[in-house]
Amino acid sequence: MNWFDKKEKLSRRQLLKLVGAAGASAYLLPLVEQAYAQGISIPDSGATLPSDNVTLRWVDSGDQKAVFFNEFFAAYQAAHPNIKVAYDPLPWNEIAQVVPLGIRNGTAHDVFQLPLSVSGAQAVSEGWVQPLDDFIPNFAEWKAKFPPGIFLPGITDFEGKTYSFPFTSNKRYGTHLLYNKAIMEQAGYDPENEPLTWSSFREAAKKITEQGNGAYYGFIMGGNQINRWADVVRGFGQMAGAVGGTGAQITADMNFLTGEYSYNTEEYIAAVELLLQLRDDGSVFPGMLSINAPQARAFMPQGAAGMILQGPWNIPQWERDNPEFDFGISTQPLPDDGDVWPLAISEGGANGLWIFKDSPNAAVAGDIFHYLGTLEGQTQWANIVGAADPPVMPESIANATLSPRAAQALNMFNEQVKVGPNPVVRNPDIVQVTLEMRTPEPSFAQVIQGLYTGQLSDVKAQMQDVQDRYTAELERAIAAANEKGADVSRDDWVFSNWDPRSDYGAEKYDEL
Amino acid sequence: MAIPNLNTRATPKPAAKSLWQEIWKARWCYVFMLPSLILTGMFTFYPIFASWYFAFLDWSGFTASKTFVGLANFQEVMGDGLFWGAFRRSFIFMLVSVPLQMLLSLIVAIILNDKALKLAPFFRTMFFIPVVTTTAIVGIVMSFIFSPFNGPINRILVNAGILSRPIDFLGSADTALWTVIGVFVWKWFGITMIYWLASLQTVPADLYEAARLDGAGRWALFRYIIFPLLVPFAIVILLITAVGSLNVFALVQTMTGGGPFYSSEVMEVYIYRTAFGTGGGGSVPRLGYASAAGVFFGLAVMVITLLQGLAVRGMRARRAS
Amino acid sequence: MATTSVTSKRPNWMKARWWFTGSRPRLVITSLILLPICFFWIYPFLWTVSAALKSNGEIFAGLGLVPQKLEWSNFARAWTQAHIGRYFLNTVVITASSVAIVVITTSMMGYVLGRYRFPGKRIVIGILVATVFLPQGYTIIPVFELINGLGLSGSLLGVILGTSGGTPIIFILLFTGYFSRLPHELEEAAIIDGAGFFRVFWQVMLPLSRPIIATVAIMQTLQAWNDFLLPLVLTLARPDLRTLAVGIYAFRGEFFVDWSGMAAAATITILPIIILFLFMQRYFVEGIAGAVKQ
Repeated sequence: MNWFDKKEKLSRRQLLKLVGAAGASAYLLPLVEQAYAQGISIPDSGATLPSDNVTLRWVDSGDQKAVFFNEFFAAYQAAHPNIKVAYDPLPWNEIAQVVPLGIRNGTAHDVFQLPLSVSGAQAVSEGWVQPLDDFIPNFAEWKAKFPPGIFLPGITDFEGKTYSFPFTSNKRYGTHLLYNKAIMEQAGYDPENEPLTWSSFREAAKKITEQGNGAYYGFIMGGNQINRWADVVRGFGQMAGAVGGTGAQITADMNFLTGEYSYNTEEYIAAVELLLQLRDDGSVFPGMLSINAPQARAFMPQGAAGMILQGPWNIPQWERDNPEFDFGISTQPLPDDGDVWPLAISEGGANGLWIFKDSPNAAVAGDIFHYLGTLEGQTQWANIVGAADPPVMPESIANATLSPRAAQALNMFNEQVKVGPNPVVRNPDIVQVTLEMRTPEPSFAQVIQGLYTGQLSDVKAQMQDVQDRYTAELERAIAAANEKGADVSRDDWVFSNWDPRSDYGAEKYDEL
Repeated sequence: MAIPNLNTRATPKPAAKSLWQEIWKARWCYVFMLPSLILTGMFTFYPIFASWYFAFLDWSGFTASKTFVGLANFQEVMGDGLFWGAFRRSFIFMLVSVPLQMLLSLIVAIILNDKALKLAPFFRTMFFIPVVTTTAIVGIVMSFIFSPFNGPINRILVNAGILSRPIDFLGSADTALWTVIGVFVWKWFGITMIYWLASLQTVPADLYEAARLDGAGRWALFRYIIFPLLVPFAIVILLITAVGSLNVFALVQTMTGGGPFYSSEVMEVYIYRTAFGTGGGGSVPRLGYASAAGVFFGLAVMVITLLQGLAVRGMRARRAS
Repeated sequence: MATTSVTSKRPNWMKARWWFTGSRPRLVITSLILLPICFFWIYPFLWTVSAALKSNGEIFAGLGLVPQKLEWSNFARAWTQAHIGRYFLNTVVITASSVAIVVITTSMMGYVLGRYRFPGKRIVIGILVATVFLPQGYTIIPVFELINGLGLSGSLLGVILGTSGGTPIIFILLFTGYFSRLPHELEEAAIIDGAGFFRVFWQVMLPLSRPIIATVAIMQTLQAWNDFLLPLVLTLARPDLRTLAVGIYAFRGEFFVDWSGMAAAATITILPIIILFLFMQRYFVEGIAGAVKQ
């Protein structure tokens, strides 16, 4: 019953189809001009690879990564005929189950991304993963080439060893405006030249809905996917001045100037109100609450809505799958008073990859990681994925061929996203707090959804409640960590020298 | 469901024989029971006791660290509004779907039981088709059917002028649970109908004849002749249907996932969410807690079943006297 | 309530005819009301089959069930990308094996409980009845751990055992009741011929219990074919072992927006079992009816 092998064959054939015209023609006609995606050549990293037949199993959250890896693994298998890669791109909610259960019964993939609910510290302390140091050839030299802020103690590095490799940059945000140009023009707006404000965003949504008369609506989002609610409110609130972090619960929505959560701030409350106003105007796509983010994304090229607040990963997907779809990108709608603040990220890297502690194929994984961390690999990545998941090495972006929209997005992120402080870097004991911390239920995101569906009322009171519950949980987690020998206080979250308008570099920690 | 009669014949039971001799004599009986007992032990008893044990632990289910926390999980369960919401919805689900399913299918069964209705077998087949289809796939298909963006149901309602704007059946807190209940009744309607048809066929035709000669009307016939004969069946059907109505995970998970904002979250989905941490937004898997919720809910169901059993017994006693 | 079917002396058509006073117009009206209801009843399936043959754009364009142009490529896409073929095979293997296991184990158990007296019988019956009332808690993780402990994670056998393991006690009781009512003369002849315990069961008693076997087999088929949570959890890390229900759920996760591909995958999954049902309708209906009648 060797169905697994059959699958390999199937997926390889599929791959060929996927790579399709671009890839295949590049192999066949070397004279074709250097274009979008050409064949990847696999250099020798110097790793000692196995000589017998092995299968490397790899799971990540797919999406744009799948586009790159499908192509890359095909090339990799061609270069190493004895190595097969079984690649499973899965949605996050499946990763949340596949990875822990696989680890539990010893069938985990060799390389995986951690579920969003599991921190790196947790994975290391549970013994799920092993350090990369010994598997990546010329490790020290390789690691030294990364820009600062990618490898951080408590995030990727533990006790002097490196466990995780974030090979893409976190400098992006997922709530900027993408819009249908024709519809937008007809409504009389041009966000590319005149960015929308909160109120003109609301007006535009209303106008577009009237103009669509049932055929399309002003605004769409994947309301079934809980985290989108938090993303939108956080983005709007922080850009309006409720500055703070993102990412894990010990940094997300945390104002590092005061060390307090921002849920009950005027800015966050106003952002929630804005969503409710859109709802009351009837400007929102009617099925919004029963679709997830990718479905919402797919409705855009079908002309079902005029505007979506989403991330740069939409760009290459639409450009590839819907070349006829004429869309524009622009900043997230700006606060009406014109006082715009940048968004802060808590760590430089994204898409951290980990190696399963019992993986027999760590050397193969190391070889691939090595490639992904070279300028060549990063440039290939940028060529295929573009702005969706920008590579970590700035030089690779300069080398890559980017679509105009992708380039525009990357410029926008450089301006609007700054690296913020990270308490874990300042006090490694805070890792203990992340181990203790449980997101309260209903979470911030769920409360916004509840307000939107009308099951909850009184935005101000609800946000105050979220604020109180999150603060209580943080304090409980700190107390529990201290009881177990950590030395943490709320002051570790206060960074007096933080200027939200500039990157918070390593030297800033030394000043504290 | 007859309880086995114990009269049978293996040995005439001479008192002189020792227990061991008897056991040896009946050795084949034990051999025959073994496979079934092993399976029951492994997949029914062990999991039940294991989940009781887990209920006293602070344990994610995935990590090595387990801490014994006594009744803390139960305390937390009792104080969790979301738990009680799911608890309430599970009972709403049962209390709405069971009578609906039983009553409607009884009506259809009575109509189809008429042998003169030539198309009866055809209708029966049509009503039964949803039963044989895979629940999870029905859930997915239904999420298309009820889609607010040009899904067929909304389209019909809007075209007919009943609605001015499509309804987000599965995305609106007011309609999500009811829509799932409706689909559930539709899905399992056929099986209850077959139960009723089987029961109706045990009513001897002579009875109809006799009643007709007595000049009884249709309602009187049903009320005084058929209904009393159906009661014992009705109890069995009620039990099967009620147990079935607690088993709704596949449908709810594929149609709404319990949302929006918990509005269709029934017990099974609550337990699944807390056990595996699928709530999104960084929620944490907590198997110990989920087990406590499950055990507590199981206890509640047990108490209700026992009360139901007592009520049935009381009814029978009354009828017998 | 152990009423077996009543044989009336009257011809079949006479039975209960009086109920509707036999009037023709009444029957015609009943049929005319039921016909559209039945159409709406199975409309979701008609819609699915029709959507499977349409292009993605056409699906939501109108209510018509007849596609403008047959898009067979949807099926090809579902078959290869959703791996429906493999899932189908998995599901059939799991269903067939679990039916075999359940029928054999419950009939053996029901046989000895229904026909023999032996020390400990009351205890066994007591234990079985108790399981019906024990609060179950959340058993999926213990089952998951058990399958791991047996070294069966990542194999179909694990899913098969798990699917067969939750055997409802009602199956055993059905067999027990049936066997206890069979007359003793039946096996006496066989015993005189020198047949042993096992042969009496296998060659004489089991064949006699065909109606119950049909009931149990069909109930278990529906159960295994519909099962979702157990195969979902057991095959999470091994996508190649998925069943149809889990596979299509995952397919939706990966290809959120390929409605017509989804519809094609659903059609491939649903159609065979409907066809099987149409051909074996008698067994389905009688089997399920058997659960109440016994």
